[in-house]
Amino acid sequence: MLSRVADSLYWMSRYLERAEHIARLIAVKLETTVDQSREDAEASWARVRAALWTENRAATDAALTHRLAFDLGNEFSLFSSINFARDNARQVREQLTIEVWESLNLLYLSLKPLSQDAGSSRNPARIFRQTLQELHALEGVTSSTLSHDEGWYFLELGRHIERAQLICRLLDLHFGVARSLVAAAPNYFDWLVLLKDCSAFEPYCKVYTAAIQPERIAEFLLFNPEFPHSVRFAVDGVCNALTHVAPGAPPHRRAGVERLAGRLKASADFTQIDELMSGSIDHFLADIAGQCEQIHEAVYVAYIAYGAETVL
Amino acid sequence: MSSALQIVEHEGAEPGRAPYGNYRLGAAYDEMFAPDGKVRPHYAGLAESVSIIPAEELRRRQQACEASFLHQGITFTVYSDKQATERIIPTDLLPRIVTADEWARVEAGLRQRILALNHFLRDIYNDGRVLKDGLVPRSMIYGSKHYRREMRGLPVPHDAYVNVCGTDLVRREDGAFVVLEDNLRVPSGVSYMLANRDVVRRAFPDLFRAQAVRPIEHYPRELLATLRALTPVRDDVSIAVLTPGVFNSAYFEHAFLARQMGVELVEGRDLLVNDNVVYTRTTSGLKRIDVIYRRIDDDFIDPLIFRDDSALGVSGLFNAYRAGNVVIANALGTGVADDKAIYAYVPRLIRYYLSEEPILESVETFLCREPKSLSHVLANLDKLVVKAVGESGGYGMLIGAHATKAERAAFAEKVKADPDNYIAQPTIQLSTAPTFADGGVEPRHVDLRPFVLHAQDTVIVPGALTRVALKRGSLVVNSSQGGGSKDTWVLSN
Repeated sequence: MLSRVADSLYWMSRYLERAEHIARLIAVKLETTVDQSREDAEASWARVRAALWTENRAATDAALTHRLAFDLGNEFSLFSSINFARDNARQVREQLTIEVWESLNLLYLSLKPLSQDAGSSRNPARIFRQTLQELHALEGVTSSTLSHDEGWYFLELGRHIERAQLICRLLDLHFGVARSLVAAAPNYFDWLVLLKDCSAFEPYCKVYTAAIQPERIAEFLLFNPEFPHSVRFAVDGVCNALTHVAPGAPPHRRAGVERLAGRLKASADFTQIDELMSGSIDHFLADIAGQCEQIHEAVYVAYIAYGAETVL
Repeated sequence: MSSALQIVEHEGAEPGRAPYGNYRLGAAYDEMFAPDGKVRPHYAGLAESVSIIPAEELRRRQQACEASFLHQGITFTVYSDKQATERIIPTDLLPRIVTADEWARVEAGLRQRILALNHFLRDIYNDGRVLKDGLVPRSMIYGSKHYRREMRGLPVPHDAYVNVCGTDLVRREDGAFVVLEDNLRVPSGVSYMLANRDVVRRAFPDLFRAQAVRPIEHYPRELLATLRALTPVRDDVSIAVLTPGVFNSAYFEHAFLARQMGVELVEGRDLLVNDNVVYTRTTSGLKRIDVIYRRIDDDFIDPLIFRDDSALGVSGLFNAYRAGNVVIANALGTGVADDKAIYAYVPRLIRYYLSEEPILESVETFLCREPKSLSHVLANLDKLVVKAVGESGGYGMLIGAHATKAERAAFAEKVKADPDNYIAQPTIQLSTAPTFADGGVEPRHVDLRPFVLHAQDTVIVPGALTRVALKRGSLVVNSSQGGGSKDTWVLSN
């Protein structure tokens, strides 16, 4: 597979994962606002902004929603992410099936008018739920129409690296260093929101019942091996994808990447929640995010941006 | 609407009656109506369909066609100050229909033409027989900006310099197809031929079946076979389509062809040359490339040999080509045979190389380099179209009938100062075809661009891109100037 193509597939998938995450955070936020006091709503907005690296405040909730969702000037907005994903897809148009491309393109075309008109969204919560559904449908179409070959595993790699990092960020805001970014400490309601932000409420209840305990939530979102939006599940996804990409690369090129993947997997598999809750969770979250970053760089050095002189 | 009414309306399909209320037959040949207002037999099926289907439904189908293009991303991007807008090239719902007999003649003419042009290219890049015999002036070849000195004496597989050719034909007032222009460099539009078929077939499924339209879907397979034939037969021949990238207006077509052929789509930055061998950079290491179907102009293909400011090409590609380690299709330097002055010589070239009479006529062309023609051109500027030889896309052109006196005088000075650089042709009334417009059907001018594939053999898929000038009365079919396209149905009997 062409290195450039791998690069585009990888980023297409990362941006789609990011878009899904942003859409879910905003949808959950808008759906739960009605149940909150003004101060609590304020704090949970602050958490959403921090989770999406959008530091500056907006005058109204509607303006903030627009900025987080549809503002092309905000690189981390929902529409920017979909736009970047589509740009990457266009560059590898010949690698995708017509079904995949059309689903993504339709999603882009349906959101585009909203990005051009700041005051148009009358019923935004519905829009974000719908966008989520379309993103899930796109994932399904991708899985069922595209060959699960090397390109597919670059999509998987991008999706899971992005997912691991996004969940780490969310957990950091509730358990780690980034907690200080939001004035109020999370209350019962915020823990519910955290679960919903990871579409984890029902799966969590199945394992731990509806007893909401921060420690259990952390354990579930970090270490549950079966839940797709847990860090451990994402790490497994990364490691699995890495065994399938660049099948023809010589062993010495693969070695660096595989060593990093093994280390990441060990961190996710063998860490105990008790150790973390007694103080080292902020360090742990930063470490997982950092290891994902290292894997990203190692993949580029080994498979994508290598110098020609290193292989001739 | 009762069925009796439908039949009455069908029998009454004629200019002036709905939906043909604004259908005025002019001097141009009309594809659907004979001069006496009767529907030509091969258009009877379409006439019936258009009569039966309510206008509202026709409009819905037209919109479905357009939506389909937008969703598939068959768009080109227009860049303005602030933002990039993606537009589609409009497809007209109503197919343009060509009879089996008409097509047989067109096909035979195109086969003859590509053969002669390839002979000509081989000749001027090798012995130069045609120049020694004085048939074509040397200055026209060596002075052409598309002549590539670097190609002299280079062997080309099967002597096939032009492997993909798009020839523009128009129909004269008398109904004969004549050649307007050959595109021998990087002709585009074939993806529109295929995409139009896809949507229009869905819009008129019954009619399509009933008409026995010849299939064109095998074009990508034929293209692949043509490219394969350019290199020694091996199992692992690796072929790539070279595109300038996603910002090129024909990017959709490049990606489409690569996908349909199942070959790699590469950009210049994916390729590198080592020891005169071309490689792509893949995740597993470097992979050799044997054939490049390039969609980049000569000038940009190798910054070491041609334009050194080109970021689209690949350094060292030409040396790899010269060494015979890679085949580039079309070959470099083919542009010398499709400029507007050489065009006037093609009938003579056909007689010279093939000892045959040209099957397809050309448009009468006056070469200003010939004194007699020059004085004729200057005396009749108001009736002629004058074109600069090396230009394309409507640049450096005077349409005498539409120009002011001052413009004509100014242009005359330019022609006198450099007569070698100009040719003139009479204004041609392109034929008109029924086109869906404002809820009715009106005549619009069309041309015809079939695509010719040539390696060891010549293959012409029975279809073409029909470009249509969507503005009433306009003769300009270019997409940049309000042109659209139509599906083209070649009938099998």
